[in-house]
Amino acid sequence: MSTETQNDGDDLEERVTNFLRRNFPQIQMHGGSAAIQDIDRETGEVSIALGGACSGCGISPMTIQAIKSRMVKEIPEIETVNASTGMDGGGDTGGMSPSFPGETVDDGEADEGPEAPF
Amino acid sequence: MADFDPEKFEDKYANYFPELQQAYKNAFNRMNDRYDSQLVHAIDQQVLNESEPFYDGDGEFRVELPDEPYDRLSGVLVDEERFEEVLEIHVEEIETELRRVFGFA
Repeated sequence: MSTETQNDGDDLEERVTNFLRRNFPQIQMHGGSAAIQDIDRETGEVSIALGGACSGCGISPMTIQAIKSRMVKEIPEIETVNASTGMDGGGDTGGMSPSFPGETVDDGEADEGPEAPF
Repeated sequence: MADFDPEKFEDKYANYFPELQQAYKNAFNRMNDRYDSQLVHAIDQQVLNESEPFYDGDGEFRVELPDEPYDRLSGVLVDEERFEEVLEIHVEEIETELRRVFGFA
């Protein structure tokens, strides 16, 4: 009798979401958004897309670096954070993290975030 | 005005996150007023997203950039020399803003 529980991934996703909400409320305060695009529990890799007013407002570089730096410390399962904005050219953004053999970077960004220059 | 502590800056994203954002934002706004907006946005989003500020002592900050910044650029047509020139000015603006935000200027 096995009951399949598949909430491990969801739980991790929830923790990532809560981490963002708790530590980076200013993303929403600036009218932007942070969406989890992909979580790979095998490699501990998470991809996050910042959108809305965070694209091109001048503060997203530090926001991205802070998310990368702090998330790997605060959520042990997370080893690599790929964070990008709608304007990212699709380059490899795994700058601060160790790389893994056989690592695949899923660049699933298809939307161009609206720009909101001030 | 932030009360700057070099030791706290070791964990800058936890201790000085709003100040870092402010410095980058101020530099971005000034660059956006003065230079081609598309290029400034591209530098902000595609190069500075992998930059890291460091404190060198004596009120001096340094911004480290990712390797081959010109190769990271996409969606903007600009020759490399012009790109390097604008990027260098942008980095100097950030370093100036960091000094200002942390009360060294």
